Amino acid sequence: MNLLDSFTTAFALPFMGRALLVLIVLSIAAGLIGVFINLRGLEFLTDGLTHAVFPGLAAGFVFGGQGGVLIGALVAAAAATIVLTLMSNNKVTSDATTAIVLTAMFSIGVIIVSASPGRAGGLEQLLFGHLLTVTDSEALITAIVAAIALVLVVLTFRRQVFHAFDPEGSAAAGYRRVSTELVLNVAIALVIVAASNAVGNLLVLAVLIVPGALSRLVTTKLGALFVVAVGSALLASWIGLSLGFNISVVGGVDVPAGATVALSFVLLYSIALIVRVARKGLNA
Amino acid sequence: MSPRTRPIPIITDDALTITGGSFSYGDTPALTDVTISVKPGEAMALIGPNGSGKSTLLKGVLGLIPLVEGSMGLGTTAGIGYLPQTEHIDPEFPVTLKQVVMMGRYRKLGLFRFPGSADRAAVREAIASVGLGNVANKRFGSLSGGQQQRGFLARALAAQPSLLLLDEPFNGLDQPNRDALMQTLRQLKAAGVAIIVTTHDLELAREVCDTVLFVNGRQIAFGPKDEVLTLANLQEVFHEFQVEIDEHTVVVPGHEGH
Repeated sequence: MNLLDSFTTAFALPFMGRALLVLIVLSIAAGLIGVFINLRGLEFLTDGLTHAVFPGLAAGFVFGGQGGVLIGALVAAAAATIVLTLMSNNKVTSDATTAIVLTAMFSIGVIIVSASPGRAGGLEQLLFGHLLTVTDSEALITAIVAAIALVLVVLTFRRQVFHAFDPEGSAAAGYRRVSTELVLNVAIALVIVAASNAVGNLLVLAVLIVPGALSRLVTTKLGALFVVAVGSALLASWIGLSLGFNISVVGGVDVPAGATVALSFVLLYSIALIVRVARKGLNA
Repeated sequence: MSPRTRPIPIITDDALTITGGSFSYGDTPALTDVTISVKPGEAMALIGPNGSGKSTLLKGVLGLIPLVEGSMGLGTTAGIGYLPQTEHIDPEFPVTLKQVVMMGRYRKLGLFRFPGSADRAAVREAIASVGLGNVANKRFGSLSGGQQQRGFLARALAAQPSLLLLDEPFNGLDQPNRDALMQTLRQLKAAGVAIIVTTHDLELAREVCDTVLFVNGRQIAFGPKDEVLTLANLQEVFHEFQVEIDEHTVVVPGHEGH
């Protein structure tokens, strides 16, 4: 099988089809939500949430095996989301407290996994995902979780835009601030949970943050932002998955496909950045 | 109904009545003893020094600050428009003026409806009424401060409110923007909209307002402008105050420390 086949016919293989399905749903959800993360400047909070979810992933994995990962992650995500939303609304949060909480949570997760006999090998899987070996039921559950996140954001789309642009005006118009923020944070947490299983907890940030940041480089039109973000996420997923397949299945080098996917996101961002800088240079 | 006609609010009752009202943040009362009424088509000037509770009253009417004593009644259900004093917006935020003004329609649209011709007409009309028709498709952050201010007013108007709250709308406006805003306020009054406007500008109060409310932590005076806009009331509200009136700057000495 040559490189070209990795980008095309390889997707006829069942495990590649499952991986693609997972990434398509993730790309749509993460693309839309990523634009709001960028507009609201929530990158650091998102980072905090991914780390806070980690002990949940770890505990779920240790006590429930592969099937327990999602439940553990959902519980941790729910707790972390509520705590972070309330903290930010009562103005007690700061970058320092978020940083302390997130490193603490991450350490707890690493200790849980490492201290469990026979489960230590699972650490790599939790950090980098297992995109090419997801089962049918995992793919389905991941898709459902990401779809719920998508529905939450689509249903509150206008108030999210209003709030991102002008939180005070949005509150004066009668939209409750806490509920608007809570819905977006829950959606972010759900995408983290879904994506952690597929691309791994460490690489989730690429999927959530890069598409929104990339779209800001490409366009200044509100509608186009969402189209570009979702489109670039889909493109990066396809490229990354094909490269991962080529390296690990065809090449025989055991590389998690989550890493090639994350790298593809960064690659597309770099191209967008270079094009923008070059165009600015020409216009100047 | 043709899309260009603005529905006239039902004139049956006062747009706003407050009786013995007190508003407070936490334990500290920010404004007390407020008893006022504003009728449809009437404008009330809200005057007082900084920190006297002007913004508190506006936020209290919006329900953002709780009424802890007394009662408050809103006349119609057509909604309240609000123009905050300062808007901190990201100048790079990717929205056009038209999209910002459409935000004024969001509550009416609810969850599932897409903007229809009536919504687009209301947005177009609101933008035209503040004189920004030529920049409707420009990015909001690229507009001047005065244009942004008028843009936010257009957003408040797009909701076709029966009560409009304006917090220091004339601050930092140049003469053309100021004249345009005065004109808009007169048109709104003629259409039956009740207006509350906080200001330092007594000339504005005389020109477009019908009633005046003086506050300084509590209500000092309320009534028709001719009865309330007196030197005695000004001295009670401001310890020392520079008034620009008829192109002269007059320093009004307060009763304390003199």
